[in-house]
Amino acid sequence: MLVVAKPSEMAVQASEDEVRAASAWLETACEEAGVPADQVFRLDLCLNEVLANIIYHGGPSARTAPVLLSLCVGGETKGRQARLSVSDAGMAFNPLTAPVAKQATSLADVMPGGLGLTMISCNSDRLEYAFLDGRNQLSVFVEW
Amino acid sequence: MPIAYQDIRANFRLIKLSGRLDIPGTGEIEGMFAALAATDSHRVVVDLTEVSFLASIGIRSIISNAKAQHQRGGKMVLFVGDNASVIKTLEMTGIDSLVPIFKDMAEAEQAATS
Repeated sequence: MLVVAKPSEMAVQASEDEVRAASAWLETACEEAGVPADQVFRLDLCLNEVLANIIYHGGPSARTAPVLLSLCVGGETKGRQARLSVSDAGMAFNPLTAPVAKQATSLADVMPGGLGLTMISCNSDRLEYAFLDGRNQLSVFVEW
Repeated sequence: MPIAYQDIRANFRLIKLSGRLDIPGTGEIEGMFAALAATDSHRVVVDLTEVSFLASIGIRSIISNAKAQHQRGGKMVLFVGDNASVIKTLEMTGIDSLVPIFKDMAEAEQAATS
């Protein structure tokens, strides 16, 4: 039977100054829900990259409304999962369909940017995205 | 300050970063990092052994400085020791193919100065 704990929630502003507070909330929420440290680390990397996208690419609307975070942990003793959901009011952006930056083959060719989506993809087991009521709704899943 | 440096020899500088290279952490060090990495000695090892968290913004800072050093005819390599999380991040993003990484400090120094 799937057991789902009550989600933990937090709101932060899309600001560089609030990234650490978001990470601290995630760590505490994960600890209380029994998420293993290696999975917390993966979620924290994803959270940082998602927040960076919102802060630097979300546009003015991203900064006018809070970014809503929630963590939900469920599953049986074997086969558990955590879902980190991030909701923001920035420009619609679907990371699941965004083009992945071509990997440079030399320092001379490398251009900044594009690493965030790679980081999110590599540090999650599944992603879900929807644009609802003017907000991006991204869910990042990790499993153990 | 989570950044320190040591000029080992006239042509070789060691820069040590530590802590979280997330958005605020990278913002804290990037100015000094760029200044230190732009050394006239042209040979730099960046020690990441005490970096606990490496986000893409931190990687961009490393790449930017490595590229700038490369364009000046110099060389930057990374010393990661047994820092598994940093090694994994550098490998998953393919950065290890752009900026050489070493688990052994002597090998890093040799690669930077050769």
